[in-house]
Parts: sequence; C-alpha cells; structure tokens
Amino acid sequence: MGELLLMARIGGRRAAIPSAQVQSVVELDHIVPVPRAPGFVAGLTALRSRALTVIDARRALGIGHAPDEADGRAAVVEVEGHAYAILVDRVEDVVEAASEPERPDATLGEGWNRVSLGMVETAIGPAILVDIAAIVAGPDQAAKHAA
Amino acid sequence: MDDLLADFVAETREMLEAIEGEVVAWEADPSDRARLDAIFRFVHTVKGNCGFFDFPRLEKLSHAAESALAEVRAGRRQPGAHLVNGVLAVIDRIAELVDAIEAGEEFVPNGDDRLIAALEPESEDDTLAPAPQEESTGGSKPARPANCVRSIRLPVELLDRLMSGVSDMVLARNDLARRLREAGNQPAIDGPFERLSAILDDVRQGVTQMRMQRIEHLYNALPRLVRDLSAELGKQVLIDLEGGEVELDREMIETIRDPLTHIIRNAIDHGIETPSERLAAGKREIGLLTISARQAGNRISLLVGDDGRGLDIDRIAAKAVANGLATKGEVEAMNREQKLELIFEAGLSTAEKVSGVSGRGVGMDVVRANLEKVGGSIDVDSRDGEGTTFHLQLPLTLSIIAGLIVGTSGRRFAVPRSYIEEIARGSSSALEIEHLGDTRFVTFRGTRVPCIEMSSVLGLDSEVSLEQGVFVFVRLAGGDLFALAVDRVLDNEDLVVKPLAPALMATGIYGGSVLLDDGNPILMLDIPNIAVGHGLVSQIRTRRSTAFDAAPGDTVTPAGQVVLFESFDGKRRAIRMEAVARIQTIARDAVSVEGDRCQALLDGAILPLAGLANELPERDAITVLRLSDGDSELLHAVAEIDNTADLDGDIVPVDGEDLLEGSTIVGGRQTGIVDVHALFARHARKLAPARRPTCRIPDGDGWARTFLAPLLEASGYRVANGVEDAPDITLLLDEADEPGEQGSHIVRLRSTPDAGPGGASSIYRYDRAALLAALESATGEA
Repeated sequence: MGELLLMARIGGRRAAIPSAQVQSVVELDHIVPVPRAPGFVAGLTALRSRALTVIDARRALGIGHAPDEADGRAAVVEVEGHAYAILVDRVEDVVEAASEPERPDATLGEGWNRVSLGMVETAIGPAILVDIAAIVAGPDQAAKHAA
Repeated sequence: MDDLLADFVAETREMLEAIEGEVVAWEADPSDRARLDAIFRFVHTVKGNCGFFDFPRLEKLSHAAESALAEVRAGRRQPGAHLVNGVLAVIDRIAELVDAIEAGEEFVPNGDDRLIAALEPESEDDTLAPAPQEESTGGSKPARPANCVRSIRLPVELLDRLMSGVSDMVLARNDLARRLREAGNQPAIDGPFERLSAILDDVRQGVTQMRMQRIEHLYNALPRLVRDLSAELGKQVLIDLEGGEVELDREMIETIRDPLTHIIRNAIDHGIETPSERLAAGKREIGLLTISARQAGNRISLLVGDDGRGLDIDRIAAKAVANGLATKGEVEAMNREQKLELIFEAGLSTAEKVSGVSGRGVGMDVVRANLEKVGGSIDVDSRDGEGTTFHLQLPLTLSIIAGLIVGTSGRRFAVPRSYIEEIARGSSSALEIEHLGDTRFVTFRGTRVPCIEMSSVLGLDSEVSLEQGVFVFVRLAGGDLFALAVDRVLDNEDLVVKPLAPALMATGIYGGSVLLDDGNPILMLDIPNIAVGHGLVSQIRTRRSTAFDAAPGDTVTPAGQVVLFESFDGKRRAIRMEAVARIQTIARDAVSVEGDRCQALLDGAILPLAGLANELPERDAITVLRLSDGDSELLHAVAEIDNTADLDGDIVPVDGEDLLEGSTIVGGRQTGIVDVHALFARHARKLAPARRPTCRIPDGDGWARTFLAPLLEASGYRVANGVEDAPDITLLLDEADEPGEQGSHIVRLRSTPDAGPGGASSIYRYDRAALLAALESATGEA
C-alpha cells in the first residue's frame, strides 16, 4: 500500500512501474540504432555522460502496432548495473498504489503475462504492474528463462 | 619509496588486515580447511611477491610457513596448537618486517630461525606459546615515521563516482562551449571559461590517472624477475614484453600481478629447458618468454607464452589420478583440453622436486581463483616440445583506450587501435581485391589476407564500393591478420569504454559503448569475436614462431622500410620510413622561395621545404613528406609517391651527393636513399624556438587587433603588451612612422593589393604566406 507508481501507456494500455526503480523520466531526442541488435532494443542514447540502452517497451511486449500518441519519453532504470531507458508511449503521472498487486484472473496475453507482477488499483484506474527486469530481458531471453 | 614497493607494502598490509579474522578463527578450529587455505594463500602470495624484491628474510619466513601448511593441506600433518602458534608468530613477524620496509629501516630483532624451527614437526615439545612478541616492540605497533610518501587506498566505487562526475562536467563544458561559440565573442565570459576549461582538463586527467595505470607498470619488474630466476635455475631466458601501453584499472593490475608472477615462475622453472636440453632438442639455447597485452573488446587479453617443452599431459593425468582429483576412468574419458585444464585444480603438481622458485602445484589454482574472483578467466594451450601459452582474460570495468572511429553505412563505430596494423585505401595501386569462393581476399604488399566487409557484418548496405572504401588491417592477439573493409576512417580518439547491456553483448559484434566528445554514443566493435564469427581465427598460434624468428642473435641487420618516390628532378628516391611523420598535400601558394631556400606554410607553421630546386613546379598542389626527428619538422617535396618497400640490398655510397646516404637497388631499379640526417642538419635552422619572438602591432588599430594579433599568436609569435615590452619585430601599417626603438625589425604592411610608389618593400596585409615569411626572416636576423 502506498507505493509510488509511475503510470505510463505501453501499446495504449496502462502500465505501472514502481517509481523507486525509476531514476528519472527523460525525453529521448536522438537514438543511435544498433545493427544486428534484437528488435526490442531501439538503440543507444546518451544521458549526460552515460550511454543508455533504449528498450522499446512495446516491442519487448510483442506489441507490434505503433502508439497513437507517443511523446518519446522514457523511464531511466538500472538493471544489474546496466542503465536502460524504457521507451513507452507516454508517461502519465506518478500516483500512489491503492491496493497490493493482485494476479488478475483473465489472461493478459503472452507479452503482458511475461512482464506482469499483477494488477494494481490506483486513483486514475487499474494498471498492470510491470517487472522492469523482464522488459529489459526482452521476449527471447524471457523465453529462455522459462525453458 | 618507489611505486612497486609502496604497492607491495600496501597490499601486504591489506591482506594482513583481512587475514586477522581468519587467523583467530583458525586458532579456534585448526581443522577448518577454508581458513587454512586462506592463510596458506596469504603466505604463498607474500612469498610470490618477494620475487620482485630482495627481501630474503620475508621470503624465508613465508616459504617456511607455506611448507608447513602445505604438509597440513596434503594431510601429512595434523594442525595442532603448536603449529598454529608457529604460523601466527611468522605472520606477526611478516607484519613487523613490512612496517620496517615501509619506514625504510633495517628490522633489527633477529630470531627468524627460531620462528622457522618452531614450524618443524619435530620441535613438537618445544613450546612456543604464546606467540613470541617479547623481543619485538612489546605488542604495540611503533608509530610510523611521517616523512615517507604515504599512499592511501580508496574504494574503487568512489573513484568511479568521481570519474563519472568529471565526465559529466566535461560534456556540460563542451555543450557550453558550443553555445558560447554560437553567441559570438564575449570577452568577459570567454576568459574565465577558458580558465575553467583548462582546470577541468587537468582534473579530468588526474582523475583518469587515479584509476588507470599502464600495464607497463607491471612489466617493469619482470625483466629483473626473469633474470634472477633464470640465473638461479641455470637457464637462459629472454623476455619479450608487448602492449605495455594498454591501460587498465589499478585494481586489475594488482589482481594480475600475482598470477603473472606465478605463471612466469612456472614457465622458467618447468617449461623452459636448460640450455643443453634445448640445444639437444634443436632449439636455440635461449628460451623465449613472451607476454603480450591487448584490449579485446571490453576485456583485456594477456598472453603469456614460453617456447619450452610444453606440458606433459600424461603426467598431469596420472598425477590427477594419484592425488584423487579424478578417477582413472574419468581421466581416460577426457580430451586433451580437459586434461590440460587439470593443472588449474587445487593440489596438483607435476614437479618432482620442490624448489624455492615455484612450488608444489599451488600456483595455478590460486591463479585461477584470483582471476575468477574479478570475473576473469584463464586457459592454457600447450604443444609437446614447442611450448605453453596461457591466455588470461580480464574484464574491463573502466579502461581508456586509443580508438579509431570508422564509418560504415552512415553509422560510426570504434575499433581499438591496438589491433590495427595498417590502413590502406581501396583505390591504392598497391592493393588488390580478389573474390575466391564466397570470401574476398586483399593482397597488400605481397601478403594476402581474408577480408570481411563491415557492412555485411552489421547487415547493412555499404554506401561505397570496396574499391572506394578503406581497408583496416587488423591483427589479433593470436597473430591472425585480416582486413576489415569500411566506408571511411573518421577520427582517432581516446575512448572510455563502458560495458554493454547483455542484450547487446549477445550480438557478438560489440565490445562496449563509447561516448564521443560531441556527446553521441557509439559502439566499439569486438574484433576477436567478429573474427571468430567469420572463421578467421586459426587454432595454431603463429605469433610465437614469428617472435622467435625475430629474436636477436642472427647476424642479419634489420632491414629498414622506406617510402619510394619520384623527385622533382625526375630521380627515384627513397626515404626511411621512421623519419616520415605523414604525407600531406599543400597548395602551391603556401610555398615561398626565400633566397636559396624554400619554405611552406602548413598548419599555421612555417616549415623548411626540401626537394625543390628553388623553383615552384607547375601544379596547384604539391605532395610533401612531413619528416620529423622528434623535436623539429621539415618537409620534403615529392613529384609522385610510388610505394613503400623493404631495404634489403646493399647501400653503396654515392660521391658528390651530400644529401644522399647512398644508392641501392629496390625492385630492380637504382634508388637513391635520402640522408635524413644531412637534411635536418642543413634545413633545421631553429625549428623549435626557445622563446616566442615579440611583435608590436599598430596601437589602437582595430584591424591589427582583430585580424593581425590572432594570426601572430597562432603562428608562434607574441604580441607586445604596452610600451615597455621591447619587441623583436615591429609591424607597421601603410605610411605609419617608424618608432625610434633600437634592435627591432620593421615589417611594413599595406592595405591595398597593389604596391603603390615606394611600397615595393611592403606586404599586402592579407598575403598571409608572405607576411609569415617576412616575420620568419626578420626573426632569423634578430
């Protein structure tokens, strides 16, 4: 209860990222693509003196279609010592969780199931609490872990 | 105190602190194997480190403790209170000796022999409890003298934070600099900004140095170690060190020092044969120990090879069975590599004889443990009768390397310069491209090497054809050479390499990311991995044999490489490659003939120009060789560059040509070799002026201050400040009156291109070359 969540839209759906994990929210203006990188890695970008690996959250979830109203913002997180920028459709707000995360009954779909930590209620509506490490790992890695 | 010694003291003291707890725990439970191993490693490491220095007492003590503990580890002796006390006493004594070493004093209290004797099993009844402190300082440590250079140890994390903070500042500074430039000249801000900028550069350098050390630092001590060891063992060993410029974390240097020492000891003790054995085996009597360091992606790769007898695989296997490390069946099922890997197991030694030099099979498991602790690895390759190579890999937490920025398909990538042998243009006549099967080969200077295209590695479309591209010749640590075709070579930069996210590492193409000074991130190519991915790495390490061939002893004098060219008087000439700094093209306008000498304006400096017969050739641009002797530079004009070649023929002196070293045959044609020494002796007047000549510019003149002063400053002159500052040269504009000062040369400028009446001696104020030449000649007379 009371955990602060960064509310964002990924593929048009509302997702919540524990804000304790988010170092900052940045606007990505220049992304250097990385040839031969997996599809969910959008490229590299520089944040001050750091190079961030940009993860396209939609591609990481296997959501193909382009967002309707992307604002090019990304959440900067650190997973296992590496800094990432998680590119979402747009960042909405920071709100307090109104409930503990619950496993939703209905299946969310393959991509969402993989990264979901459960559903949380918030003042602006329900959202799926996402596991940053699972997003960063991408679809292939997650498949390997499951195997 | 020298650095190495300070490191040794600091490291030993740190280990002593770390081990204090272990000692107490071991005392409580002498059968505790983990504690025993930790203490054993400590004395073993101290013994190993002593190899660098001349500390016979330390070495004797640690060797004795190591022997006693080895007995316990081997199960031949039960640890008792007596042994514990003995070992503790030795550790205390080591601490005292280290204090004395740091203070630079002779440690007087003796009794080492008594301590060593107390470790012997037969002295079981000789009670040495409690630890003999009575003869030392009565239990309290002496105050350390304040006058010796103290070093402190800081957590690496703190340095990382500092480093990243400074990097942020540099990037912010660059950003600010860009904005200031855009905003135009603002003297009130520019001055302080310049100062801030310079200070920041200093700080950055300092911070970088705090973290980094050249591996040279580690290398420095090795020749001595090798010399002493080989003398002790009656062997002759030559050490060949390569890649000393590779920089790595101080922490890493400390981590690899012990493993390296162990491997070297083993190589000299067990690997390299005695001179007579070597001669009998048809080898040169001097053994060769090669150590080369390379940066490989985000890892440092260290090859330590000897050309000795190689590891005896059957003996290793038999020993492993005898020591219970593996069953007979397991060993039989192993392949060659797995058997070789056994040498890294604890408690395996094939040495029949235990010497003070290398031990009883403890070395390699400690080596592996130390390397793995920092995320490194070690493997071994050995060939019967030909030698053994250890390949150490170390992670790169933070490392600055020289990199080449290349461009392909509109993207930029970095290649570590340590791999690059040479760069050639596809359009060069000396380079041929052939397609054989699915592979391309390039032949350059008689060597045919496989070629891979960067664009196909990356799965991109190349922007230019191979013929218009650039070939970067890359040599791997193992000795394999191949060419990497890129669209263009952009820049050289010092790069701070950061580790990549796992998803990007998995591509197998990149070794790290780099932030350029303009703030853009680019990727560094993992050259070895790309080579492996394209099947370009041979299993046989060829380097060793080539290094051996090049070892001294042969009577053939090393052949020099020369640049062949056609001179302006139509002669074929060669100039030694070492003297050539680079090849440049200058505009004809930049060349001026002054008396019997030519000079040219290049990069804001006036350099003497040789090779022209005092008349300018009928062409717009002139190709020049920029020659350097390290201090000064001069230019040599060439009509056409032909090629480079090896000097292998005799050099015959030529009469009457004082600028020629001699004449020789290159490629079937007689070629005159330019005498670089004579060239510099003749032309190098005062290329590096000790003092910048002072110029006075017209006072209060806007043009002079805005246009002239910066040009003068940039060209190595100082602009006089105020009337008291006596100038060497006075610059006057148009009809201004000459000042009455003595000893100052006058250079008169005019505002119009055409010299008016009486203006023949003046120079048009925008005729830069003439102006600089006039200043040069005025300075020469001054």
